[in-house]
Amino acid sequence: MRIWYRNLDYLTLFAWVVLVAIGLVAIYSTTNGPSAEYLLESVRQNFRRQLAWVVISLGAGLTCLFLPVHFFQRIAWVAYLGTLILLALALLFGREINGARSWLQIGGLTLQVSEVAKVGAVLAGAQLISTMRPNSSRVKYAFLLLGVFMTPMALILLQNDAGTALVFFAIAPIALFWSVWPVGMFIVMTATGVAGYFSVVHLPTAIAFAVLFTFLVLWKTRERLYGVMAAVFSFGAIASVLFALNKVFRPHQVARILSFTNPGAEEFRSGVGFQLVQSKAAIGSGGLAGKGFMEGTQTQGAYVPEQSTDFVFSIIGEEWGFIGSMVVISIFALLLVRVIQMGIQIKHPFGSMTAVGIAGIYLVHVFVNIGTVVGLLPVIGIPLPFVSYGGSAMLANTVLLAILLNLHMRRDDFPIYVY
Amino acid sequence: MYDYKIRGRVFIGVIVVAMGLLSLRLAQLQLIRTDDYTIESESNALRERRVLPARGAIYDRTGRALVNNEPSYTITITPRSFDRGKIPLLADLLEVPDSVVSARFTELRRHSAFQPGKAFRDVPEDVFSRVAENFYRLPGVGYEQDFRRRYHTEATAAHVLGYVREITDSELVRLGERGYRQGDLIGKSGLESGYESRLRGRLGSEIKVVNVHGLEVKSWQDGAFDNAPKSGYDIHLGLDTDLQALAESLFVGKRGGAVALDVNSGEILALVSMPDYDPDVFTATMDPETWNHLINSPEKPLYNRATMNRLPPGSTWKPFMALMALQEDKISPAEHIYCGGYHPLGGSGVFRDMHVHGSIAVEEALEQSCNTFFFELMMRTNVEVFSKYAHMFGFGQRVSTDIGEQGAGLIPDSSYFNRRFPGWGPGFTINLGVGQGDMGVTPLQLARYVAAVASRGMLYTPHLVTRMVHQETGETLYPKIPAPTKLPIDEAHFDVVREGMKRVMEAGTGKWIQIPGIPSGGKTGTAQAPHERKDDSVFILFAPYDNPQIAVAVQVENAGFGAVAAGPIGSLMAEQYLTGSISSSPSRQWVLQSVLAVRSEPLDTEDDERAVADGESEESESGEDT
Repeated sequence: MRIWYRNLDYLTLFAWVVLVAIGLVAIYSTTNGPSAEYLLESVRQNFRRQLAWVVISLGAGLTCLFLPVHFFQRIAWVAYLGTLILLALALLFGREINGARSWLQIGGLTLQVSEVAKVGAVLAGAQLISTMRPNSSRVKYAFLLLGVFMTPMALILLQNDAGTALVFFAIAPIALFWSVWPVGMFIVMTATGVAGYFSVVHLPTAIAFAVLFTFLVLWKTRERLYGVMAAVFSFGAIASVLFALNKVFRPHQVARILSFTNPGAEEFRSGVGFQLVQSKAAIGSGGLAGKGFMEGTQTQGAYVPEQSTDFVFSIIGEEWGFIGSMVVISIFALLLVRVIQMGIQIKHPFGSMTAVGIAGIYLVHVFVNIGTVVGLLPVIGIPLPFVSYGGSAMLANTVLLAILLNLHMRRDDFPIYVY
Repeated sequence: MYDYKIRGRVFIGVIVVAMGLLSLRLAQLQLIRTDDYTIESESNALRERRVLPARGAIYDRTGRALVNNEPSYTITITPRSFDRGKIPLLADLLEVPDSVVSARFTELRRHSAFQPGKAFRDVPEDVFSRVAENFYRLPGVGYEQDFRRRYHTEATAAHVLGYVREITDSELVRLGERGYRQGDLIGKSGLESGYESRLRGRLGSEIKVVNVHGLEVKSWQDGAFDNAPKSGYDIHLGLDTDLQALAESLFVGKRGGAVALDVNSGEILALVSMPDYDPDVFTATMDPETWNHLINSPEKPLYNRATMNRLPPGSTWKPFMALMALQEDKISPAEHIYCGGYHPLGGSGVFRDMHVHGSIAVEEALEQSCNTFFFELMMRTNVEVFSKYAHMFGFGQRVSTDIGEQGAGLIPDSSYFNRRFPGWGPGFTINLGVGQGDMGVTPLQLARYVAAVASRGMLYTPHLVTRMVHQETGETLYPKIPAPTKLPIDEAHFDVVREGMKRVMEAGTGKWIQIPGIPSGGKTGTAQAPHERKDDSVFILFAPYDNPQIAVAVQVENAGFGAVAAGPIGSLMAEQYLTGSISSSPSRQWVLQSVLAVRSEPLDTEDDERAVADGESEESESGEDT
């Protein structure tokens, strides 16, 4: 008889353990350090609570590891529906924390449903794509897939949790890229993103990039249509960003978005830029080897707001330095690469789409979170998976990973011929 | 149909690019620009704080602590980090009105917005712990563990010890570069002031991690960059606490000063100035009423009468006159002078005597305190010679020693009379012979003079401090006290004068205040006080007669005869020092009870001229130091 865990991916498990451990060490430093007595009582419990959530997540993850693969396929839509109901409930009866009404009180637990919603959305997306046939209309599936991600996103936006909504927004093109779009589309998507980013940071660079990109596409493809498309997308991105900054957002929102480019400026320094100034000071002052466990002055002095949640990376950067930062980055790279490779190995579209959905979620979280903390991106409040304090995210991310490990471990249970 | 491999490679490429971008950014922040951010984070989160060394204690001659320290908690406010909205909360916790907190806040902000300032000193422990529990919601509020002066023993010795007080603005300007800060304590008078630098020690520093609310949360790098403070020196005095305490109790209700010296070293055994004050009132925030009394009372409690008062010595001056005249050959020990109850210079009723003594020699003249005799000695002496001998004994000048507040007294010479009384004659100087007129001495000077008489001409420098011992290293320093000098007066002349002073105590005015079983030499004096007030009572004494150990000088203002007020005090002090207690014999207890009942004639508040005059002289005097 085959040993059931023969195909378990230990490398992924290792990455999970290391990241969770790093997160616990970082949170411990803020809540149990020498300065703990100066913290609010509720904050001082963070380490203990996170530890409890790790245990809960481990239990949930193990449970997922033992379920048959068909179970997930079957419950995909049910889970999705449940997710939407939870989101609606949170919108109606939820608790507001940090301005977002995305928390449901269930017994003694406070659940951030927008985090848990990721599980349902990923499963539903995968299930949808696994029903696609070669003769299916790609446009139809593209829209259906968009709908799967945009519906919860809309609800989460209504909850005023822009950061998590952005994750759903970013997953959609990744899922589309994996399932229905031609590879060339990916290049256009990336170019759009780059043009959009630079139009916030430095407009001339954005315009130069758009011009260069258009000519590059023209020169490479020698098709006028592609050239026009490249121009429309890249300049369209610039125009949309400019329009949004000038017409849609209010001045204080614009200041918040723009402040990351120069958080130390006089008008931002003590206001919207404070968090970034302190976070960069924390990370930069960590140097190569860091200041040492519980020795970070920024960390112990609690200078970085949200330092155990969204800005947890500033603790690692300060106390463990460049070496510690690179360990975290490398482990995330390892985890992401393994997730993709598992997605390829599973072959069945359900498993493969689940993998790419998970990889997309993790990638967006990691890049946006660390990008924010190091001042590359505007401050967008999303946590660093497995590391940041936060039980719902820990639970959702762990369950997603466990489902993927399960699908990968039991990939032979999938029918070989899906059609 | 699903070419996952290609897409997978593209996706992995994206992951590598994304992680690569973050890595480059981290390298930029943490490797290339780390110095900039290190400065930024240190200027943020690190604060250097001074660590005050433990101020030295002061001990008496037997090692009993007169003053040392006890820990006290001071609530600090860092104005920049403080939230004014929290004033009511802080006021509530401290149990003071809001206005007090906000006034203190404004005051501290004037000095520095960034440094934590001492807002509430010496907070009771329960109040402190209540505030400490709420630090987390009081941004910018912190604490310092401080020391406050703690005074022991029944002896106050206020004018010896002096007091410490919060540094003033003008002192801060002067002393800021020596590490003093707003809210520090500094010695203001007495030893606390004179030995400030020794007592204070050297400041240390600590680097603390300060949190976003301005609270110090931990030491930086486990204190690797901290400098420990160097504590001050403990000061050991020659003072005898029991003697000091007795003298203070004898002075209750009186004004004046007393000094007791060790005849063989010049160590000050007791130094009393009354009225005095409680140095402890300066350790806490003082109510304006107390301060007002200390500053404005006509009795001038802060004024050190023992070292600054300028009173005529009266008849206690007579031993000096005798010594001078004998040494200058103006008289021989056996030579007799006739006393008809007055000196012929002004006829009867001008330079008077109490009695008609008839023809007497110097010893008897001292015993009987014959004015005529000493008028005559002054008549035979040039005022320049008089001035020279007086200065020889240390009168008319300050003594270079460890007592900061000193008056020079007044010893006139011819230029003084030329200035004050053009065309002066012997009628202006004859009074000096009996210690009256235009002259003034301090109890300290008198005591030094008695000690010199007792030791047959050894003039020691009176001093308080015998040694300074460092609290931690045990290193001992000795004060630089000028060496004793031998007075250029024949010892035989001292024998004559000492014999006269012994007769005072055995048969003269000092008879009733003899120390039981211990022969001594003394002289009472009754000096006319200005403004129709009661005479000042003066007394000098040394004992035991044969092997003198203690010399005492006592001045009691407006208290009558020397033998009534000053005499008993001096005698009881000597007895206490020599025997360790006061004899319980009825006659001795009677002396004790009678002197306790003596009061100085009260000062009318309107009639402040004397106090004012004293205050002026205190400033205008600039007698050269010996």
